[in-house]
Amino acid sequence: MEPIERLLQEKLIREAQVKTRRHFIKDCATGLGGLALGSIFLGCDPLQPSSKPKQASFSERDLNPLATLPPPYAPKVKSVIYLHMAGSPSQLEMFDYKPVLHKLNNQDCPESLLQGKKFAFIKGTPKLLGPQAEFSQEGESGNWVSNYLPHFKKVIDEVAFLKAVHTDQFNHGPAQLFMHTGSPRLGRPSIGAWATYGLGSENQNLPGFVVLTSGGKTPDAGKSVWGSGFLPSVYQGVQCRSEGDPVLYIEDPKGISRDLKKSTIDAINKINKEEYTKYADPEILARINQYEMAYRMQIAVPKVMSIENEPENIKEMYGVESGKESFANNCLLARKLVEDGVRFVQLFDWGWDSHGTDHSTAVDLGLRNKCREIDRPIAALILDLKQRGLLDETLIVWGGEFGRTPMQENRGNKEMGFKGRDHHGDAFTMWMAGGGIKKGACYGKTDDIGFLGVEGRVSVHDVHATILHLLGFDHEEFTFEFQGRNFRLTDVEGVIIKDILA
Amino acid sequence: MDILKQFLGRLHPLLVHIPIGFIILGLLLQWYDRKKKSYTKIIAIVFFWAGICSILTCITGYLQYLGEGYSFNTVKWHLWFGIATSLFCFMMYFKLAETSFTSFISRLPVVFLSVLLFLMISITGHLGGDITHGKGYLLEPFPNRIKSLFGYKSFEEKPIILTEENWESSLLYEDVVHPLINNRCVSCHSPKKSKGGLQLHTLEHIRMGGENGEILVPNQPDESSLYSRLVLPKDHEDHMPPKEKPQLTKDEIAVIKTWISAGSPTEVTLGELQLPKELFLSFFPKIEDRFYPDVEVAAVPTDSIAPIKDFGIHVQPISSSSNFLSVSCINKPDFTDNDFELLKPIKEQIAVLDLGGTQITDGIFEKLTTLPHLTSLKLDNTAISGQGIAQLGILEHLKVMNFTHTQFEASHVSAFGDFKQLEKVYLYQTKASKEVLDGSLENQDILDFGNYGLPKIASDSIIY
Repeated sequence: MEPIERLLQEKLIREAQVKTRRHFIKDCATGLGGLALGSIFLGCDPLQPSSKPKQASFSERDLNPLATLPPPYAPKVKSVIYLHMAGSPSQLEMFDYKPVLHKLNNQDCPESLLQGKKFAFIKGTPKLLGPQAEFSQEGESGNWVSNYLPHFKKVIDEVAFLKAVHTDQFNHGPAQLFMHTGSPRLGRPSIGAWATYGLGSENQNLPGFVVLTSGGKTPDAGKSVWGSGFLPSVYQGVQCRSEGDPVLYIEDPKGISRDLKKSTIDAINKINKEEYTKYADPEILARINQYEMAYRMQIAVPKVMSIENEPENIKEMYGVESGKESFANNCLLARKLVEDGVRFVQLFDWGWDSHGTDHSTAVDLGLRNKCREIDRPIAALILDLKQRGLLDETLIVWGGEFGRTPMQENRGNKEMGFKGRDHHGDAFTMWMAGGGIKKGACYGKTDDIGFLGVEGRVSVHDVHATILHLLGFDHEEFTFEFQGRNFRLTDVEGVIIKDILA
Repeated sequence: MDILKQFLGRLHPLLVHIPIGFIILGLLLQWYDRKKKSYTKIIAIVFFWAGICSILTCITGYLQYLGEGYSFNTVKWHLWFGIATSLFCFMMYFKLAETSFTSFISRLPVVFLSVLLFLMISITGHLGGDITHGKGYLLEPFPNRIKSLFGYKSFEEKPIILTEENWESSLLYEDVVHPLINNRCVSCHSPKKSKGGLQLHTLEHIRMGGENGEILVPNQPDESSLYSRLVLPKDHEDHMPPKEKPQLTKDEIAVIKTWISAGSPTEVTLGELQLPKELFLSFFPKIEDRFYPDVEVAAVPTDSIAPIKDFGIHVQPISSSSNFLSVSCINKPDFTDNDFELLKPIKEQIAVLDLGGTQITDGIFEKLTTLPHLTSLKLDNTAISGQGIAQLGILEHLKVMNFTHTQFEASHVSAFGDFKQLEKVYLYQTKASKEVLDGSLENQDILDFGNYGLPKIASDSIIY
């Protein structure tokens, strides 16, 4: 098709999507007259001489938008579990050990570092804040980790660190969007949507992209961080609740039996099938498929989302709290979902915004509690996937939307009651583990106080390029045409971080 | 005055089209009138005006050359051919108007003049195009092979191949640095195209530098822009190669640095300089880490997959460029041993088979031996006990097996000793465990019994 024809077709589809019944009736006033006139002159539609539907061949995707497609290159992983610490954890208390910063504790930050830098809250000349945790080198790799994460030490040789990631956003909403959609503004699809669009979902009874949240709040950027942007909305993340019904209204209403439900859906589908024989529109087949999938999901989703039947030792390993919304429960669910063939599982844990405004956001108090909440579950997730042979076909990504400053936050240019750090996008730590990842690797280095990356700096786009690479895509070729141009997750940037690949 | 000069000069790209039009029109009319010769006078007028316009074009062209700072070498041939074209227009006019201005013109055949004029206008036009759009603009869309036929390929990629055997005796400049600069820099820095007055195709030229001075300071990479420009941020104006061109890899930049640090020697080998092998590993031929069998299999016709898919089995190529298939019963938990018959048409292609969570029994092992390219096998969450597993030893590509949560017996574990390529066997939640087997195994490291735990520690319950 010519580009202009494609553009016109896109316009037609978009128009049809937003057209309401009211629009339709309004159009009928003039449209029906025209139709009548047309039939007087021609008697019938000259373009369609036969009333029989054309025998068209539809791809599996036409009938089921989640049908699987092979990736262009042999993939290293089938699924991704993305652990996002919303609010952004302090790398300086967890992974990026800076003994020099310890010595400089409470000294004024040199002016040269502050020039041209924007901070969310820091004003004037802040003081440097030494690491509040004790660090040690662990595992055979000898990578550094703090005493805030005692269980993590056991799995440290499974992960590859990126010590000098940088982003150009310094507020939560835009930075989260950037981290998940490749753009700090609304409207782009998230990584999970791209992955589901490109690969589909193997399990017919479950969504391909599931989102689980914990920590009491959803991310600042809202649901757009797992949205489908300009991709068809069927590829957006399905947020499942770990408390109550996993998906709202998934249970049949009281008094409706499963059999009645089935016969209702069968009746609807029968009508739809008759429509299909008349008009041969693949959208109708897609709709039939969706009704059936929804019916199957009513059984499959509550089953996979229930952790009650897991053995005690597994529950203990993760530290789950039954009936509550917790990061530990979500980690266990993530394993179950990946085990059942879900393509992309996104975990958001809220509460990492350690500004030091109160007890819960102090880097020596509240942050420690947050670390405890994720430490055991993450170590358990890695070990559990490993013992089931799933770690080699799953990618785990851990990170926040940015990092935190080596300076103590001085909100309003005043000394604050608790020790906290401001937002900082120039250098922070992320890690990956799983299939195709070089175990125990550590790439990138920050300066002596952890303010800037000095070696192996990688951008958010580079992280995206690497994730897509592991899923079997070339991030430069994986595109979607929208408004007349091809869009990529990595826009015009992104370099695969080969140094952390096995 | 200068303004006027520059303005008139810039009219040149517009004016050029007028004589071109006239000349082509004249030539076409000549061809049309080749027999009757009844329009000769009119054609003469056409060439007269072609000549007048050509002269105007030449003048504006000359002004543009003066005003826009082209070097004479660049425009030389375009200029001479342009002037010649206008002269020939007048010659044609005199010939056709029969003014008998000079007698030698009347002796020239008209066809000779016409052909010559056509050639002149084409060459002049092409040379002009090369000046505005850059050399090789016309042939740029063609592949290198065709371009080189016309002598346009500005450089030839020189491969760098170091091997385990020869790397120490390879010359640092000749075998590594020279081909590297050739591949990454010479397309813009050569006698054909020397941006910034810099040529890098020979060592002499590298030492000579460009219009910004020397680029190589022996032993001081940071002072040598041959190195320092490579490590500038990509967005920096002076970064080389330009942002949109293929970039040097980290290893390649490190090699350039090493060469300059060593004093940019020519006749020294890597071994003599005692350089670390790691620095050059990226130039070694890639040992491809292929997970899937290194054999070609035919693609399966779609219609033989259709019945398998309709049965509820998930079938998909490993990648869109591979004929190997990944087959999964994730949506078919009631799959039994007998259903295996269905997979027969694709037995050559199956590389990944997931029968986890199905109704299969130990009888499946015999059937699995018919899958010659099976690489990864999942039989987790089934009732198998491992009876007959030894038969799979003939599958020479089998690398990963998963028996998680099955009745797999400890006594069958020893069978894995005879498997050729086995890399990993998952035996979590089976009857086989480390304790039961107790060190009686040779290849312990490929067995994963799982059952990992995270001991309770004091800090688990401390709330800050």
